[in-house]
Amino acid sequence: MTDVVVAGIAAGAVYGLFALGLVLVYKATKILNFAQAEIGSFATFVAWGLITSWKLPWLVGAAGGVLVAGALGLAFERLVVRPLIDAPRLTLVVATIGMGLLLAGLEFKIWGASPHIMPSPFRGSGLTLGSVTLPPARLLALAITAVAAAASAWFFRRTTFGLAILAAAQDVVGVRLTGIRLRHLSAFTWLSSSVVGAIAGIVIALSLGAFAPTFLNGIMLLGFAAAVLGGMTSLPGALVGGIVVGVTQAVVSHYWISVAGLVETVMFAAIVAVLLFRPRGLMGRTA
Amino acid sequence: MSAKTRVPVWLLATVVCAALPPILGRAGVWGFDQYHALILCFGVTYALAALPLNLLIGYAGQISLGHAAFLGIGAYSSGIIAGRLGLPFTLGLVVAAAVGALAALVIGLPALRLRGLYLALVTLGFGLAMASMVFRLRSVTGGYAGQAVPRPQAGTFVFLRNADLLAVIVVIFGLVWALDRNLLRTKVGRGFLALREDEEVAAAFGVDVPLYKLYAFALYGALSAIAGSVFGHVVGFAQQESFTFDLSLLFVVIVLIGGLRSRPGVATAAFFFGVTPRFFTFLKGWELIIAPAIVMFTLVRHPGGLGQTFGELRGLRTRKVATHEDDDEAETSSASLVLPRPAGEGVERRGTTPLEVRDVTVRFGGLVTVDSASLTVEAGQITGLIGPNGAGKSTLFNAISGFVRPTKGRVLLHGTDVTDAPPHRRAALGIGRTFQNIGLVKDLTVTENLLLAQHRLAGYGPLTALVHLPAVGKGERALRDRADETLHALHFERFATSELRELSHGQQRIVELAAALLTAPGVLLLDEPSAGMSPAAAEALAERLLQVRDELGQTILLIEHHLPLVLATCSTVHVMDAGRMLTSGAPADVTADPSVVAAYLGERVA
Repeated sequence: MTDVVVAGIAAGAVYGLFALGLVLVYKATKILNFAQAEIGSFATFVAWGLITSWKLPWLVGAAGGVLVAGALGLAFERLVVRPLIDAPRLTLVVATIGMGLLLAGLEFKIWGASPHIMPSPFRGSGLTLGSVTLPPARLLALAITAVAAAASAWFFRRTTFGLAILAAAQDVVGVRLTGIRLRHLSAFTWLSSSVVGAIAGIVIALSLGAFAPTFLNGIMLLGFAAAVLGGMTSLPGALVGGIVVGVTQAVVSHYWISVAGLVETVMFAAIVAVLLFRPRGLMGRTA
Repeated sequence: MSAKTRVPVWLLATVVCAALPPILGRAGVWGFDQYHALILCFGVTYALAALPLNLLIGYAGQISLGHAAFLGIGAYSSGIIAGRLGLPFTLGLVVAAAVGALAALVIGLPALRLRGLYLALVTLGFGLAMASMVFRLRSVTGGYAGQAVPRPQAGTFVFLRNADLLAVIVVIFGLVWALDRNLLRTKVGRGFLALREDEEVAAAFGVDVPLYKLYAFALYGALSAIAGSVFGHVVGFAQQESFTFDLSLLFVVIVLIGGLRSRPGVATAAFFFGVTPRFFTFLKGWELIIAPAIVMFTLVRHPGGLGQTFGELRGLRTRKVATHEDDDEAETSSASLVLPRPAGEGVERRGTTPLEVRDVTVRFGGLVTVDSASLTVEAGQITGLIGPNGAGKSTLFNAISGFVRPTKGRVLLHGTDVTDAPPHRRAALGIGRTFQNIGLVKDLTVTENLLLAQHRLAGYGPLTALVHLPAVGKGERALRDRADETLHALHFERFATSELRELSHGQQRIVELAAALLTAPGVLLLDEPSAGMSPAAAEALAERLLQVRDELGQTILLIEHHLPLVLATCSTVHVMDAGRMLTSGAPADVTADPSVVAAYLGERVA
């Protein structure tokens, strides 16, 4: 049982990381960002290309992928989000769907549909806790998730810029009056969520070993489940939600492996239950 | 009237479009063969599948990201009924509709508590659970192998030719189109549109918000499942991989590109998406890049979608509308609000106190916004409710009209305790109200708003509205007549087909007052009716209100900051401050009261 839970926590950390990016955008703009998965997998392909074809060091290649993701996020904000700033949220949600489809199309065209192997920068077999062995990729995921969560919590609580992003979600005019440029806030939001998506994508590809276009779609849906469980606007909540999702998935698929789709169904039931009885999520604030 | 003899355009179009393919197919005209017919089948099926989603999102303002699941429910239902059990395909359609409606009701229940994107996540989860679990259950759906859906059969005739199948699909599409169109022309459609804009406004006009939400979901589920059945019959197979999240997303994209609310726009966009993939295979994967790019370009450059384009082509949206701010006062002073009352309304209520508020307390968390407030509104009088900003006046209004549940105290309407009644019930019992920020639907026309206002007077049920029986026609004509009379009384005939948003603020306010009066409420609550008006317009408004009181005997409770209006109209004034009732009495006495002056201007330093 313990090993199943530990494996679940390790997997859940990644969902939490992915959910963090979704929550960043939702917190600031009230948009569900369906493009994040494809931005992440596009970045993963770029990193793979830099590492394997260009023979760059692993970290440099990964950084290149993250940079490209950041650029994609900025471009999307500039070309699509900003012109639609007054449009209904649903229009913007559909725009993110469009962006995701576009990137998926590009991935298929450039790299094809077949799986690619993500080279690992690690040697050794990782850390052994009792009967469970956590491979290096999992440990990396845990570490990155912890750092990202701490950094974003600090950012939103302690920096003027972070507070301004939260304020802009409530009252655009008020923020404008403080002299902070709204377009900087918006650009930063999309940049950071793309970067988070890219890091999550690369780490997930690393722990899975292989990846293909749209490989993050399933993770994105679990990420949304994690975000909802966490209350959609809470950064620590996204992490806790991710871990809950990860552990649930591990337990369900360990003990009831024969029932196809049970994980998704349990997730759906959990989402409905949380939204109905605790709409602010497990960790969301009550006021 | 010629309407009785004229065949509706939709019926004519359906018959022609259904008759053409079998004839063309058999005659071999223009090389019209099996393949072309099959492609058209896909196109019409997509259009059929997009209409219900447009109904849900575009009309009722509820979101579904689980559309594919409902299509799947339909396909599997038909597969089991017509395929496994060998029963008629029409029975398959009926069962599909029933199962779809039931599933949608289950999904709709969270919608009673959730709004917007939260609801979207629930539907997303539902779609996922259906695709990954239910559709894979071997006993129910045949598991990974899938379930065969045979071609429809009428007696001994099997619709094996694609052109014949196309005819069947076109007929079904025509019927759904007509149903959708009927719906939008009745109180149900207006109720949906009001829901989308503002649930409180809808409830204030007597729309049963929870019921209408569930109704929208049930219709959506039933019609989507029918489209899914048709899809199954076209493909010949229902399998789990067909009904994935991607398909759900595709249909949301289609509805937006087609233009929310626009039936022709959405149907055209869906037809296009259904047909084109089979024509553009020569693009060798580039279409996966070009299509989303076009989608995003359309959203950014043309947010109204195809529907807007169609509207512009027909010159509907470009029509110049006069909203002369300067004419405001001239107009608002010549118009009359003494509107004809509906037959049999308002008589039985005489002799009771219209409205009594007893010791009402409203608490939000630790904040007490209304603190044991009591007031009585006398019949045929205008009663004022004044007080500084934040005194709790609007919250008290909300407690009276049912949008806020009092922590303590009772609200009595004509002697009946309505404290526990939801807003639409109170509207039916005779509370009419206006809102500070105009309680109307901004993207409906002025006439449509006046029809919406008469929601509870329509005289037919929500289910009847679907089929547009003569009773519905008669009810609608009566409502329309009164809307026309109202426009005439207001001298607003030229705005009849203008969207409300095109009117100036003052004009919107007059329409709102007229709409509230149209329901012949026992008590009319007015929340700052003169907000945003010039002093002269406010003076005209005062005269108009007195006229309404004297000629119609209308009882009014008025929140107002503009004191001259209060002094001119009210017989009694209640003053609130910091949630409490400070004092009440004749307007002149109250305004001279030192404690009232202190509440507004602050204590004089002794």
